[in-house]
Amino acid sequence: MSPVAEVRALVRSRGRRPRSWIDLYSTGLGLAVVAAMLSQPASTLLAAITRQADPARMGAGIALVVLAYAGFLAVARMMGPVTLSSADATWLLLSPLDRRAVLRRPAGVLLAVSVVIGAALGVGLLAVLGTPDHTAVRLAAGMVLGIAAATGGMALAVLAQALRTWDAWAGPVIVTTVALAAAVALLGSGPARRFLAAAASAPPTLGAALAGVSAVLAALLVRRAWTALDRIPARTLLTASTGAGRAVGAAVTMDPEALAWSAEDEHWRGRVLRSRRWPALPAPMALAWQDWRRLGRRPGRLAVLLMTAALPALAAQTGGGSLEAPAAVAARTGGGSPPGTAATTALAEAGGLAGLMLTMGIMLVGGLAAAAAGTWGARRDGDDPALARLLGVGPRRALAARALLPGLLGAVWLVLVLGGLTVTGALPAGPWWLLGVTAAPALAAGALRTARRRPADHTMPVIDTPMGAIPTGLVAWAMTGVDLAALGCLPLAAALFFQPVALGGFLAGQAVLGAAVLSAYLAGAGRAPRALP
Amino acid sequence: MVSEPIIVVRAVEVTLGGNPVLQGVDLEVARGEIVAMTGPNGAGKSTLLRCLAGLRTADAGEITVLGGPPRDVPAFWRDVALTGDELAWYPGLTVREHLELMAAVHSTPRMDVEEVLDAFGLEQRADAAPFALSTGQRQRLVLAMTLLRPSRVLLLDEPERGLDAEFRERLAAILADYAAGGGTVVMATHDPGLAGAARGRRVALADGRARSAV
Repeated sequence: MSPVAEVRALVRSRGRRPRSWIDLYSTGLGLAVVAAMLSQPASTLLAAITRQADPARMGAGIALVVLAYAGFLAVARMMGPVTLSSADATWLLLSPLDRRAVLRRPAGVLLAVSVVIGAALGVGLLAVLGTPDHTAVRLAAGMVLGIAAATGGMALAVLAQALRTWDAWAGPVIVTTVALAAAVALLGSGPARRFLAAAASAPPTLGAALAGVSAVLAALLVRRAWTALDRIPARTLLTASTGAGRAVGAAVTMDPEALAWSAEDEHWRGRVLRSRRWPALPAPMALAWQDWRRLGRRPGRLAVLLMTAALPALAAQTGGGSLEAPAAVAARTGGGSPPGTAATTALAEAGGLAGLMLTMGIMLVGGLAAAAAGTWGARRDGDDPALARLLGVGPRRALAARALLPGLLGAVWLVLVLGGLTVTGALPAGPWWLLGVTAAPALAAGALRTARRRPADHTMPVIDTPMGAIPTGLVAWAMTGVDLAALGCLPLAAALFFQPVALGGFLAGQAVLGAAVLSAYLAGAGRAPRALP
Repeated sequence: MVSEPIIVVRAVEVTLGGNPVLQGVDLEVARGEIVAMTGPNGAGKSTLLRCLAGLRTADAGEITVLGGPPRDVPAFWRDVALTGDELAWYPGLTVREHLELMAAVHSTPRMDVEEVLDAFGLEQRADAAPFALSTGQRQRLVLAMTLLRPSRVLLLDEPERGLDAEFRERLAAILADYAAGGGTVVMATHDPGLAGAARGRRVALADGRARSAV
């Protein structure tokens, strides 16, 4: 037994009782239940991919898969990826024990996670490309390709953590992957459509060969990462482990805000800044200027935020290229047809409605997230009002000034989204982008309400429903802010639903309701100050 | 020499979790006076400060600050400055920008930013984010922000926390200067030297009661 194994065995012997047959039975039963739960969706998915793919949707679909892969790489790099539990980081890392032996367990976890995510990515890719023949071979090749990409990417992240030369490469690799996704999205519906269609109908042996080469390359990277494990500096591991510990804590207490603050503080702790003169503004605007300056110092985040505005257009393209109003779908599929086509009409209506609802959901959540990027000052003062008391600006005036930036961010994001949907033909021609401008106050109100919400109340009841247990405290917490934004954006949602020829009435309604929601929120916030700690 | 009372505490009682922390505390603080509350951990110093700031309601008794009961409203905080635990700094701002923000929201700051940076020994770290400062430097920044803004009453909870001996002496001089300008200071402290150097009146809290100390 290695020294590390001896230490772990000693810890286990003091902390846990020996495993009994009941433990084994419980584990086995748990795994069987999980397998039974997954079997139905897995078989449905398999049945769904056994088809000829639609070339029109292929570009957007592949772009989403590549984007998901880029996200996986970014998260792996952000999280460490090699981390230790706080106990191991404290007692085993800073000890004479062999570093690679200490890191064997987290490395194994990373490998397992990569395999699962890679398999999902592979199946996702196959769902986009379709399997016209040889389903088993294509499925196996797709999964091997996905697993090779994920394990190779994870190995790259580990190497970046261990060696400075690899670290310099990791960032550009992620950026290149995102650029690739953008290129596929842009060209996939045009010049590259033929190429993608050819790739989808390529012989399965070609796919298998590609998967084989990828697997060999990934294996080489994983081997290299394994040998580099003992070269990861203790300082890097401690920092990553602290971050992972906070993430686990935030997950256990279901308080994502704590994680966001930890990441934000960590970001600024390592930065070299240059002070710039504070502009001469009225007191509330001088206070609100903090959010503008913070955002200006994170141009990368702003760029990513604006790039995400392409997602609804991409999703619409993947779903068939247009967001037809349910009434229009019914007219197109059922108008003048014999009664026997009622089922077809209903299915088309349901599909169109689902796509429309998905796009509306993305727009609401995305618009709110964009607006929330400008509310860190309100969030900070909501969590700890000590600095706000020192500054002495009244809460209503401060909030009114702080509503400008989230309103602007939300409006710009929605304008880009609605403009993109109009340009790509998903929406009929018209000044849809103006609805984004008029929705700004509602998004600002929702974002400020989200920023100032209290932590989730886990003492609230859990309601059992046919879809599973619903923790009402967490749901109420998650909906705080979304509720106000959804209420204030009702005319926008109605316009998307009915898609009228003239948007004037909806524009006026959106402007009035948005302004009313923000005014009411500010009035309420000024009247009822937050409770004090 | 004693002018009108700025803070009046009469027979204040506070019980926390069934434990009587303050039992009939009386205290009167005049304009331009520095009062240093001392006592062991749990004596009720911070609790009394929170009562004076309107952040905790006394179970019994009467508290008056600047002629009225303390209230957590902007009008109150324009005259009263409180420092307790470390502030939650705004992300993305430097030390200097935090100070400039404080000066920008108050029309008549007591000092200019350069003066404050010099007085609190923060010139070398003016471009650093507060998260990158040491514990003592962050405490200096808290005090710098508190003393930059105009106020009539300062409520300080253990202002000496994390400060080196040399700066404690400088802080005592800064507080004495603030009081000489007509400001009133009430602080909870474990450092009798700070209270003495600031020429403050010491009030010992023990067994839930306040006693004047030598």
